[in-house]
Amino acid sequence: MDAVEKANTERQKRWVKDQKVGEGTYAVVYRGREASTNRKVAIKKIKVGQFKDGLDMSAIREVKYLRELKHQNVIELLDVFSSKTNLNLVLEFLDSDLEMIIKDRSLVFLPADIKSWMAMTFRGLEFCHRNWILHRDLKPNNLLIASDGQLKIADFGLARDFADPGYKMTCQVITRWYRPPELLFGSRYYSTAVDVWSVGCIFAELMLRTPYLAGESDMDQLKTIFRALGTPTEQDWPGHTKLPDYVPIGQFPKTPLRDLFTAATADALSLLGQCLIYEPRKRITAKDALTHAYFFALPYPSHPSKLPKCAALLTAAHPLEELDGNTLTGKTNRLKRKLSSPDDAKSRTAVSRRLDFTKPTPGS
Amino acid sequence: MPKTPLYEASTQFKNWRYSPGSLAEVRASLNAAAVAVIRNTFEADEPGSSSAVSFLTPDEELLLVRLYVSKITQLCGFFRFPEEVEATAVSYLKRFYLKNTVMDWHPKNVMLTALFLATKTTNNPISLEAYTNNIPKTNASDVLDLEFLVAQSLGFEFAVWHAHRALWGIWLDLQNAPDAPPNRAAAQSEIYDAALRHVRISRLSDAELIYTPSQIALASLSIASSELANEWAESKFLTGSPSLSTLHSTLAAIRTLIESSSRPVDVESVRGVDLRLKLCKNPEKVVGSKAYLAKKAEDERKAEEKRNKKAVDVQKAMAEGDPFGEELAGRLVDYDDDDDDD
Repeated sequence: MDAVEKANTERQKRWVKDQKVGEGTYAVVYRGREASTNRKVAIKKIKVGQFKDGLDMSAIREVKYLRELKHQNVIELLDVFSSKTNLNLVLEFLDSDLEMIIKDRSLVFLPADIKSWMAMTFRGLEFCHRNWILHRDLKPNNLLIASDGQLKIADFGLARDFADPGYKMTCQVITRWYRPPELLFGSRYYSTAVDVWSVGCIFAELMLRTPYLAGESDMDQLKTIFRALGTPTEQDWPGHTKLPDYVPIGQFPKTPLRDLFTAATADALSLLGQCLIYEPRKRITAKDALTHAYFFALPYPSHPSKLPKCAALLTAAHPLEELDGNTLTGKTNRLKRKLSSPDDAKSRTAVSRRLDFTKPTPGS
Repeated sequence: MPKTPLYEASTQFKNWRYSPGSLAEVRASLNAAAVAVIRNTFEADEPGSSSAVSFLTPDEELLLVRLYVSKITQLCGFFRFPEEVEATAVSYLKRFYLKNTVMDWHPKNVMLTALFLATKTTNNPISLEAYTNNIPKTNASDVLDLEFLVAQSLGFEFAVWHAHRALWGIWLDLQNAPDAPPNRAAAQSEIYDAALRHVRISRLSDAELIYTPSQIALASLSIASSELANEWAESKFLTGSPSLSTLHSTLAAIRTLIESSSRPVDVESVRGVDLRLKLCKNPEKVVGSKAYLAKKAEDERKAEEKRNKKAVDVQKAMAEGDPFGEELAGRLVDYDDDDDDD
C-alpha cells in the first residue's frame, strides 16, 4: 500500500462513527468519537462520487478554510480522511446552535447573555476577516454552541478569500434575511461589511427573539429593510442607485431603532445601528466592533458557562432529520415552543405590535 | 497574549517547510522505498527480472517533475487561468512528489489533476468537460481518478501562500513609502515586471519549499533592482540590525536558486528519463498488467471477506436477541449505513 493510502487508513482508524444523526442531499452526519480518548466528535461524510466535476466546491471551501483557521470561536476541523468515494470531515462536537436557543421560549435572555454571544461572534468573525476570509453565510443556525457555552462560527461552504479590488464576486450569497442591501442590489464588488450586516441582523434577532428583517422574496427583502430602517438617500449611501440590480423600492421614513428595541441600552443601539449602516464603507468593522463601548459598559458579558442552554439537549436520542449546516440535533427534538410564562406572551405580542409601527403609515 | 503572525499559523508554514538537506532526504527515501517495492513485484512475477531494470534516481524524478511544472504554465496560458491557479497547481504538484514517486504515479496525469483541483480551490472552477475537451488525449477519468489521491497527498491542505502576492504587497508598500518618487507605480513598473518574471522562474525551483513567499519576492525584486529591495528592507528593519544581515544572506541563497532554474529543462535528457520510466514504473499501477490484476483480485478478495464477516455478524446479532432492541444497536452502530468504510 502507498504511504499516502496508509496514512489515510491510519487517520480513518483514529475515529469511530457511532450514530447517524442527520442526512442531507450531499452529506451524512454521524456522532462519533476519537477511538483512543472517547472524545466526542461529529463526522460529516460528503458523498463525492455523484459529482461529475469531482470534489465539489462547498466541500473544498469548507476544508480549505477550516484547515487554516484555529480559533476558540470558529468550529475546529480535527481531521479529514477519505473512504472510497466519500470525503469525511471530523469536526468538534457541538450540541446546539443559536437558532435553537433563540426559538426556545422557555429560555430568558439577559442583556449580559446577548452581549456574550455578540462578543464571541465578533471575535470569531474578526479572526476570519484578519485571515482574509469572508464567511458569506452568517445566520443563527450557523453559530453553533459548545457544551461549555462557547459560540463557534461554522459552515464555511460559501466562504472565500477577499478578492482584489476590481475582481468580481457573486452576489448570490448569504441567506436572504441576513443579506445586506448591496448584495440585494447586485453588487459584485464587496467586502467584510457583508458579514457585519448579517451579525447586525443576528444581534437584533437576539433582542427580539424573532428574525428582524424577514423578507419573503429578494425584492420583498429590500422593502422589509427599508421599512425598518428607512429608504436610503443618495447622501446616506452615495452611488447605490447605480448598482446593477437597483430598482426604486418606495419611500419609507426612518424610524429610530429605539421605537422597536425599547429595552436596549444606548450603547447596544449604537452598535446595532453601526452594523446596519447602508453605506458598506461606513459600516463598523468586526475589529472596531470589539472595542465598541457596548462591550465595556455594564452589564459585562455573561461567562459562556452561564449562558442559557436548550434543556432538550440533555435527552439523548436524536431522530434523523434533513441536515442543514453542521448542527447535529434535530429541529424535531427541540423543546416545544410553548410559552412558559404570561410575561413571555405579553412581550411577544408587544414585539409584534411594535413591529407594526415600522410599516408605512398611509400617505407617507 | 502575543498574536501568532498570520503566516506562521498557516498549514504551509507548519507542514510544508524543508531545509535543502531534508528535501533531499525525503526524496531519497521515497525513491528507495519505491524501488524496493517495484523490485519485489518484478521478482514475484518472474524471478531475476529486476536485475536488468535501471530505476530512476531521485534527481531524475525531480527533472521529470520540473518538466511538468513548466507544462502547467503552458496550460494556464492556454486556458487564461489567473496566476493564482497556476502558482497553486505548481505547489500541489511539488508537494505531491514529496509524498509519492513518479515511478508510482506519472506526473502527466498528476499534473492534470493538480491543475483541475487548483481551479476549484482558488475559486476559479471550470467544468470538467470544458477542461478535458481542450486537452488532447485526455478524458474525465484521467483527471478525476487521481483527485482523491492528490487531495490526500496534500493532506487536504489546499491553501497556499504565494510569492507573487507577496511581491505585490512589497510593491504597494514601495508606492506608499514616505520618500517615494511621484508616480512610482508607472515610472518604475519595469522593475516590478522584471521582479515578477523572477518570481515565476522561482516556481521551477525548490524555493517555495524552503523559503517564505515574502523572502522569495524580495529576492526576486533584488535581482531586478537591488536599490528598491534595500529601500524596502531598510524600511522594515533598523539599519545595522542583525536581522538585516541574515536577510541578505537568505536573499543571496534564493537568488542562486532562481538563477539555476532560469535555464529551460533539457527536453532531450527528460525524454531519456521518461523512456526508462516506462520500463521501471510500478506494474501494480499499470492498468491491465499481470501485477495490476493480481493486486485487484487480492483487494476484491479482502473486500469479500469483510462483507461476509459483516453478514455473519448481523445474523449472529439477530439470532442472539431482538434485532430492533438496544443490544443490536449497540453492537452494530453502522447497520443503516450505505458504506463501504466502517
